[in-house]
Amino acid sequence: MANFTTDGKLCIERELEIDTTVKQFDDLITRFDISETCQWITDNNFQKVCLQFPDELLGVSAKIYEEIKKNVEVDLYILGDTSYASCCVDSVAAMHVQGDAIVHYGHTCFSKTNIPVFTVLPKGLLDLEKTMKLLNDNFNSDENVKLCLFYDAEFEHCRDLISRHWFRQYPHSYISYVEIDEKPNRFLGRVVRNKEGEDFPVEVLKDCICIHVGSRGQTLFNYTISIAASEWYSLDPKTSKIERLEETIWFKRRRFLVEKCKDANVVGILICKLAGDQTRDIISRMKQLCKVNGKKSYIVSVGKPNVPKLANFPEIDIYVMVACPENDLYSARDFYKPIVYPYELEVALNSNRDPYFTTHVTDYDQLLPGRRHHCDIDHVKETTDVSLITGKIRETKVDTNEGSSTNLVEKQNWALESIGQNLQDRSWKGLEQKLGETEVKKAEEGRKGIAIQYSDEPE
Amino acid sequence: MVNFTVDEIRQMMDKKRNIRNMSVIAHVDHGKSTLTDSLVSKAGIIAGARAGETRFTDTRKDEQDRCITIKSTAISMYFELEEKDLVFITNADQREKNEKGFLINLIDSPGHVDFSSEVTAALRVTDGALVVVDCVSGVCVQTETVLRQAIAERIKPILFMNKMDRALLELQLEAEELYQTFQRIVENVNVIIATYNDDGGPMGEVRVDPSKGSVGFGSGLHGWAFTLKQFSEMYADKFKIDLVKLMNRLWGENFFNAKTKKWAKQKDNDNKRSFCMYVLDPIYKVFDAIMNFKKEEIDGLLTKIGVTIKHEDADKDGKALLKVVMRSWLPAGEALLQMIAIHLPSPVVAQKYRMEMLYEGPHDDEAAIGIKTCDPEAPLMMYVSKMVPTSDKGRFYAFGRVFSGKVITGQKARIMGPNFTPGKKEDVYEKTIQRTILMMGRYVEAIEDVPCGNICGLVGVDQFLVKTGTITTFKNAHNMKVMKFSVSPVVRVAVEPKNPADLPKLVEGLKRLAKSDPMVQCINEESGEHIVAGAGELHLEICLKDLEEDHACIPIKKSDPVVSYRETVAEESDQMCLSKSPNKHNRLFMKAQPMPEGLPEDIDDGKVNPRDDFKTRARYLTDKYEYDVTEARKIWCFGPEGTGPNIMVDCSKGVQYLNEIKDSVVAGFQWAAKEGVMAEENLRGVRFNIYDVTLHTDAIHRGGGQIIPTTRRCLYACLLTAQPRLMEPVYLCEIQCPEVAVGGIYGVLNRRRGHVFEESQVTGTPMFVVKAYLPVNESFGFTADLRSNTGGQAFPQCVFDHWQILPGDPCEPNTKPYVVVQETRKRKGLKEGLPDLTQYLDKLYYPIGGFAHKQSVDTTRMCRRTLISCLSDA
Repeated sequence: MANFTTDGKLCIERELEIDTTVKQFDDLITRFDISETCQWITDNNFQKVCLQFPDELLGVSAKIYEEIKKNVEVDLYILGDTSYASCCVDSVAAMHVQGDAIVHYGHTCFSKTNIPVFTVLPKGLLDLEKTMKLLNDNFNSDENVKLCLFYDAEFEHCRDLISRHWFRQYPHSYISYVEIDEKPNRFLGRVVRNKEGEDFPVEVLKDCICIHVGSRGQTLFNYTISIAASEWYSLDPKTSKIERLEETIWFKRRRFLVEKCKDANVVGILICKLAGDQTRDIISRMKQLCKVNGKKSYIVSVGKPNVPKLANFPEIDIYVMVACPENDLYSARDFYKPIVYPYELEVALNSNRDPYFTTHVTDYDQLLPGRRHHCDIDHVKETTDVSLITGKIRETKVDTNEGSSTNLVEKQNWALESIGQNLQDRSWKGLEQKLGETEVKKAEEGRKGIAIQYSDEPE
Repeated sequence: MVNFTVDEIRQMMDKKRNIRNMSVIAHVDHGKSTLTDSLVSKAGIIAGARAGETRFTDTRKDEQDRCITIKSTAISMYFELEEKDLVFITNADQREKNEKGFLINLIDSPGHVDFSSEVTAALRVTDGALVVVDCVSGVCVQTETVLRQAIAERIKPILFMNKMDRALLELQLEAEELYQTFQRIVENVNVIIATYNDDGGPMGEVRVDPSKGSVGFGSGLHGWAFTLKQFSEMYADKFKIDLVKLMNRLWGENFFNAKTKKWAKQKDNDNKRSFCMYVLDPIYKVFDAIMNFKKEEIDGLLTKIGVTIKHEDADKDGKALLKVVMRSWLPAGEALLQMIAIHLPSPVVAQKYRMEMLYEGPHDDEAAIGIKTCDPEAPLMMYVSKMVPTSDKGRFYAFGRVFSGKVITGQKARIMGPNFTPGKKEDVYEKTIQRTILMMGRYVEAIEDVPCGNICGLVGVDQFLVKTGTITTFKNAHNMKVMKFSVSPVVRVAVEPKNPADLPKLVEGLKRLAKSDPMVQCINEESGEHIVAGAGELHLEICLKDLEEDHACIPIKKSDPVVSYRETVAEESDQMCLSKSPNKHNRLFMKAQPMPEGLPEDIDDGKVNPRDDFKTRARYLTDKYEYDVTEARKIWCFGPEGTGPNIMVDCSKGVQYLNEIKDSVVAGFQWAAKEGVMAEENLRGVRFNIYDVTLHTDAIHRGGGQIIPTTRRCLYACLLTAQPRLMEPVYLCEIQCPEVAVGGIYGVLNRRRGHVFEESQVTGTPMFVVKAYLPVNESFGFTADLRSNTGGQAFPQCVFDHWQILPGDPCEPNTKPYVVVQETRKRKGLKEGLPDLTQYLDKLYYPIGGFAHKQSVDTTRMCRRTLISCLSDA
């Protein structure tokens, strides 16, 4: 066997990078909202409940399981090693055990799900005095310049305290509260409210200075790119550092990728999200966009994508990734072909959309019918223009046999032709026999093992 | 001016032997446009109602303001040759029987080196060139460049010595001195012609010769010109000598003794050079009499030369009178048009020898034959050489030459861009030609159809072409050859709209700009920046002005000009680089080494290219660059874009499945060659060798996914271990100035890392020419700096010449290349700092010391053998 595969030793010995700073929590019940969780389960009369943990919390999962089990009499399952990202609710895993509901622990991205979820937010310590002083030293507010506070979800447990301090200092400003339940003005899991507790849509922040209190990460990044504000600041309470956030370079790069979408002939729709209604809808929408623009699309599902997996499809010109907005692969530069957000494909291919954007829509859910950023797809006219990337003529070919099934033969020919074209560009078209060209030789004993490390190689 | 209807012009177009397509080319400020004006005023065609309107050649306001031609402009002219002159045309293909009229399509092109792409485009559609040389400054850089280009395109030149008025009035040259000056210029021009043309070649002898009448003299500004033919005509009757014989006598070492009435080949005390005696003396006399107000002499002279002064000019004197007299005595239009009609080839003659230079396909297919015979009944072959903006914003006329067949309004034709390859569907469109038009200066006139041998514009094909292309009705036609420019777009600026929301307008504008100029490049970079790249500062300035005012119509912010760099290596990799695939089941062993000097340029010029037969190419590389012949036969690919000046060579022996991963390795190579390891700039002059590869036996484990990224990693490791360097573009800079200013030039050049390699006096003038290499990056503001340091006496001409290594190691902080790399990375949004070798290089488990040996080709070979023997031993 050793000649063909590794003996598994490597796999077991492989060290994973897990943040092992999680100590034994002595305040488990309050920290993980055990009593609230139990209350929620009994109130809703769930029978099978799954507890979903991110890798770094798996260590305490058993304890939590026991604590809950003490209080309510239900079937509990622990879900770990989430398929794509642990911030998303793994409803598929829950379906495997026919679970009724999920309790989600750790960092969350507040994405929509079709199964009841109880979110247990992480809890962090916040030195409010110090933070408020920092804010006071750096920001002033009056009628004209409004501020808006974004606190990290891990400070949700002290939201009352935060809002009291904040509004005392900045009475005319807003706070963007964490909001777990679906609300009309909820955006990326947040709702903007003023001192009186009135809800506002996010557009109100257009002229505000937004300040995020918490550590920098993908979440904050998503806020800065998708919420239009006059300025964005990050205040890290751990280091007391205040930074101005500007993503103009990032936006430039994204606009380049939008152009790249227009150049592409073959689009790969990369699925990195668990099945669900919205996922299905966005896939068919992406497919339709490609179709009306005469581009071919393939659905690619390879689990967690990485460079080698995607490089296996060299014919695909660009990937549109259907994934949780917190996925950081969107900005990765190592891939053979770039990866774009569904929104970017929309901007590129949907002529009804404004071709220029200063704010981004990271959550593809917003693009679907009935949502804030939905936009109808129009029929596309056959046109040509110059691509500034390749310097060549770029043609929009319209698929003329749209919807009609009578032209099946034609369609097949088209498919065959395009496959043929891809093959034509390759130099290797199949095994070469080289009959009579290779010298007859006696077989020699070669090396043993596999390339990862041959048996004669020292370790 | 000639007043014609479109129908009359159309009739002329059918008389293909009586057509002359020509361009006017010269160094900047040698007086092309002024000369063209005198031609147009004599013979320019004004169609019907347009008669009486303003001048033709001034199409742009900035051209007038700057007194510089920016865009080439086409003008049609009509001229009838007299019976006595028609006999000078001996070739039957140079005139139709019983037709005296000639249709002359003239293209006036810019002289400034930054716009020489316009010249290239003009040359492509013409068959002859009027080379204008200022007889005071002589043959200059740009004269040589355009002449070289013309010869390469098989364009027949004729010469015109301009600004004779300056030689006489300002420099006050003696007749013999002036003759020597002319003689030197003719010689210089013929030396250039001889360097680039083979007399035994298909074009035959193209040397210019005053005694044949293919050299003109005169002053475009004053509107007078002559060839020896004009003077011979004056004397032929008097001397009773045959005209042609006399023309021969009037040039060169021919001396006439007025007393003995004898000709001699040598100068002695009593005789005088015939050219001075019979040609220059009368002119000198006229100049002397008029400029020195010798009233009584004037009248005598005027009767002698047969000029009567019209009433309204009677009270003129001095320069004004001189102009009038010279103009009526030796009208420029007459002499020049005769030269053109007699000495420049008709399309019928020219296309015979130009076909093989113009057509990429087999030389015996229908299209080739059609071009060769200039047959209006053959399939249509038209080359679109440039796009001319219309009054309709964003739309263009496709301007070009019909080489075969007819282009007809409403005709269905194939529009093939430069990336079209026969048999494939890329870059080819079958569309209707909406309209065929005649382009006369800034006016256009609709015309039903245009037969071969003519120049015209098309409406409705601009959407399918970026800059140039081929229009044909022949299904199996290949492309007409893409033009090769003598300049490169090495100066770049980043542009963005002042109001960010205008970005879509800017993008649209950039697309239009890309079309409107033959060479400018508008690029959307990976970082999202929009770059406009041009030949030089002036070119960019004009492009950006057009972009702002005509194409995008929004206020634009522009960065300071920058240059683009290339990444290369200085030595061979100091170790065998191994990278393992992500699944660890495949290994690639490679090294990088610099190409020998000259090879990257050979690849740029197409002397070595991917389409060559591999055996011929290998032979060339072996002979010229001492490449191992077996290795040279195994060049896998060129890159970036499949054609660039970097190669991947298979130096392995007997590796299983190697062909199967070739496509993946090539893909990885193209990727790495486009985005180098230091700053993601293109690579240049790097040869990568694959020495060995171990692959997993199952195809699934050695797919593209495993090999493409690994190849890139391995190539990056090769680059990092081979002394990576940056290359910068360098201008060849020629500066003309008086001797006193030379010192100032050296000072300026030294401050700008320039390096003078030649300094010489222009014989017969007090002018000096300094030739220097100047990094493009240091050239910004050079002209102004130079002028201020030389009291405005030095005029530089800069043209991109070569790439040169920017001294210093980009991996050493505080060196110039390091700074450049960091700035570029920052601009592109890449991680700052240096790339880390360990990211790309995997550990080699073998205890082989041999790999880290010295660096030379021989050791490499030895290493390879060692490696192979190690592998087989193991």
